[in-house]
Amino acid sequence: MKDTKTEWKFFSIADWEKEEQYLRRQHQNGWKFTGVSFLMAYHFVRCEPEDVVYQLDYNPAANKQEYLQIFRDCGWEYLQDYVGYSYFRKPASAMQGEEAIFSDDASRLDMLRRIIKGRLLPLLPIFLLLVLPNLLRPLSAYSTPVEYALLAMFLFLGVVYTFIFVYFGWQFTKLYNRLQRK
Amino acid sequence: MDAHIRKVYVPMTETGFYILLCLQKEAHGYSIVQQVEQLTGGEIRISPGTLYGSLSKMEKDGLIRFLREEEKRKIYSITDLGRQVLELETKRIERLYRNMREVQGV
Repeated sequence: MKDTKTEWKFFSIADWEKEEQYLRRQHQNGWKFTGVSFLMAYHFVRCEPEDVVYQLDYNPAANKQEYLQIFRDCGWEYLQDYVGYSYFRKPASAMQGEEAIFSDDASRLDMLRRIIKGRLLPLLPIFLLLVLPNLLRPLSAYSTPVEYALLAMFLFLGVVYTFIFVYFGWQFTKLYNRLQRK
Repeated sequence: MDAHIRKVYVPMTETGFYILLCLQKEAHGYSIVQQVEQLTGGEIRISPGTLYGSLSKMEKDGLIRFLREEEKRKIYSITDLGRQVLELETKRIERLYRNMREVQGV
């Protein structure tokens, strides 16, 4: 039996809670997370099944040394950073009750705002300044094959971006409402 | 105290209040967690993400200041502005407590 495995999983920027649950389930089933790399490849090594809580934070502007020391002091093992997210874990047996890296909704909302600012808003200028103006040009402006290829590319980007904004806008609104309501 | 500080910190989160309360004496992040746990008989355990977020916001807004580093841990203490905010919050919570007692007739 192989002792390591790699799984490809797609979690969007609004799905970090699903990702945490996925990693916890893997560890419960005897697969300890060793890292995530390029194109969302999740690497695991075989281990004794254990209930270990995994948590993600998004705080790329943090002072790393102070930030990680506080997590270590609170018993959280730091694993790695991946596209701005920091990965932590702590065995449930070392906890008093259910623990998480955030203890109030104000700080959970702060993380949500950091993700919107760091991951979603940077896409807006590209969409508004490049993709949209090119799609709004009259069709007669296109004549050569190269121009048609460009048009096809901008059409494709336009669809992808619209999907991203609608999907994430909806995901974030759902999360925001859930946290605000609590 | 400007309107922004008042709007953000009055009223403030429980975490924020305990941080200011503890930082009347200089302390590093994790020792605040321990003090709060002791003060509340284990009922409030501030998590690291919440603690780090509060400390960095309060430092940026000038409620606390960084003093020095000891063994990779930053030591903070409250500033005059922080004391003013703490004072406002203390008065608000005292009023809340007083009114609760009055209305409940205890």
